[in-house]
Amino acid sequence: MKLSCRVAGSLAVACALAVTISGCGGGGQGDVPAATEPAGEAAYTLVEDGQITVASDLANAPLDFVDETTGEPQGFEVDLIYAVADRLGLECEYLPAMKFDTIVPLIEQGGKADVGVSNITITDARAEQVDFTEPYLDSNQGLVTRADAAATTEEALNAEGTKIAVQAGTTGASWVEENLPNAEVVALDDPVVAVTGVQTGLYAAAVADLPVMQYLCSNSFTDCQVAIEIPTGEQYGIAVSKDNPGLTKAIDGAIDELEADGTIAELEQKWFGAEL
Amino acid sequence: MQHRRGALLVALALALSGVFATVVPQPAQALTTEKATARPNEDGGDGVIGGMDTRLTWEGTVEPGEEVTSVTLTLPEGSTFEGSTTRITALEGLKRMDVTGEAVPSGSSITVSFDQAIPEGSLLRLEITNMQFPSAGGECTVTGTYEAAGATHELAPSDPISTIANTPLQSMVNWLDEQPWVEAWNSNQFLGMFLKPQLLLTSFASLAPGWLLCLGIVVAAYPFAIAIGLVFAMLKISRWRVVRAVAVTYINVLRGTPLFLQIYIMFFGLPMLNINIDNNLLGIIVVAINSSAYLAEIFRAGIQSIPQGQYEAASSLGMNYVQTMLTVILPQTVRRVIPTVTSDFITAFKDTSLLSSVGVMELMMFSKNLTTVTGNITPYVAAGIFYLIVTLPLIKVVSVIEENIARSERGAGPRPKRRAQIADNADELVGQAAKKDGVAAEVSAVAAPTASLAPASAKEVATDVC
Repeated sequence: MKLSCRVAGSLAVACALAVTISGCGGGGQGDVPAATEPAGEAAYTLVEDGQITVASDLANAPLDFVDETTGEPQGFEVDLIYAVADRLGLECEYLPAMKFDTIVPLIEQGGKADVGVSNITITDARAEQVDFTEPYLDSNQGLVTRADAAATTEEALNAEGTKIAVQAGTTGASWVEENLPNAEVVALDDPVVAVTGVQTGLYAAAVADLPVMQYLCSNSFTDCQVAIEIPTGEQYGIAVSKDNPGLTKAIDGAIDELEADGTIAELEQKWFGAEL
Repeated sequence: MQHRRGALLVALALALSGVFATVVPQPAQALTTEKATARPNEDGGDGVIGGMDTRLTWEGTVEPGEEVTSVTLTLPEGSTFEGSTTRITALEGLKRMDVTGEAVPSGSSITVSFDQAIPEGSLLRLEITNMQFPSAGGECTVTGTYEAAGATHELAPSDPISTIANTPLQSMVNWLDEQPWVEAWNSNQFLGMFLKPQLLLTSFASLAPGWLLCLGIVVAAYPFAIAIGLVFAMLKISRWRVVRAVAVTYINVLRGTPLFLQIYIMFFGLPMLNINIDNNLLGIIVVAINSSAYLAEIFRAGIQSIPQGQYEAASSLGMNYVQTMLTVILPQTVRRVIPTVTSDFITAFKDTSLLSSVGVMELMMFSKNLTTVTGNITPYVAAGIFYLIVTLPLIKVVSVIEENIARSERGAGPRPKRRAQIADNADELVGQAAKKDGVAAEVSAVAAPTASLAPASAKEVATDVC
């Protein structure tokens, strides 16, 4: 009952959604008739009742990372999923940070987390394992070298014995495998370790998502630079188990609303300093 | 229906392009091929195997003043796009444009038509997942055509993509894929996630180099660890306080901090001091230094376990300290510490796994990469088996040596045990014998049969008493 009451206060679309979730007609005075959505379609299951459990690597500032002083998750995606949960009238709980390459298998297996929100690029291969919500952010890849590095082009880096650090299991990793086949790919746990290695000269370059690389280079690793902006035009989506299509639909609805009321634009302004 | 239309379109496109190519030998390109790459699909390797699902990525740039409405990509005969999915990305600089379209596969070609023309200056990327290259392998060039302003043009061929024919290992995996028992096995979530037969097979093949590197690192590191450890053990039992303090600091700092931290400091710290050492060599150094601290403690304990009397005995024979150490104390110490040192060796071998965090290509690193690609935990289980191949025999060795030492310290084999039994009831036997002797003395004349009844044990006791 608490669920439907809370949702009733929010926007009309959310009302309709909540009505179909709880199967109760009490809150549905909105102008979107509940009948247009087939009953049960938006019904979903959660690991913990009344809360969305989120899996993330929390190592990709400014998208998802840990506040050094409080230890709390923060970032664009964290704000986004909290806003989504709020729309759905749910609490939001982050699992401890996990390795990126384990998130999709974890969601696929189910039982531990409801959603994976960790700047996961929507790819066809991943879409065979999990469902994705509609994209919430466009992104590209960035290649970071030391600011004083000699080799900063694809040709120069595609050489035998050159070490390129990536985060294991990412689109950046497969970009290096495909486009710099002569270089040695070193798959690490997170982009911060990769860029640390570049800074100390352990690796010639590191490849990861461009917003993350730009943030790292301008905040923590000022002696590194984004040498190549790789246009990949990939899109991030929230990963949801294939057994839980209702949740995907519900989150899609919430993202639509957040898009429409400018919340997402606000968050982009807050975390990237510009609307993307 | 759609299929037929697609085929027709391709045929038309090909015919048109053929005509066009003959009329204009070198047409100005409105869509320039940037590159074509394929995702490696060799399990545990980086080859692109023909006849197996992989992903083709093709990129081209739309030249100024042009618009492209559809693209047809063609691969050599034997390739197939059937059952593939296509992802279309159009970018203006780094900004993504909203472009969707429809992909129609037709044998070794695929035609992608866009719902809106791709404008000039944009980068077009087509990612085609679950397509296959020819099973025979070889160099594959992506050719094709594109439609711009209602006319069809030839695409410039891409740089060739190297593909290989199926490997024996891969055929075994494919054979496993078809077995019903494998399917049944994998349908159990736990078994499928941790013990997938196909992955176990490929893991063994591709983890082997990592396993050898692990062994190499620890075997190379250990002699140094023993030497350094022995030096610090001697320093720690030194007479001089300063020397002792140095040794205690070295041992306690290294034993009191995680190896993980030591690895980080060495791998990230040394390059900052402009000391650049090869990763594997650095791995050997870290393991040697870390183990040396533990070994120093083991040796110190071993040396101090030798009774003081031995030193006194040695000095009474006129030996100096060095002679005593080298000829009396250390040889006995070696025997005593072998089991503990072997245990430490096992620990050091397992600890090489931490080197994966800094990119040393050892066992865990290979497993991690495989897990990444497959989304399955089986490679880690395979790594566990590789570790056990080394550690289980060593554990056995430790217990055998321990037993031997225990036996030799007791004295020798089972003989003393029997003797001890006899010694325990010796008093009793002696008492009995004395009584009998008394009786025998009284009736000695008629006691010949009784005396013969007195068993051999009495005789033995008699000799013992003597």
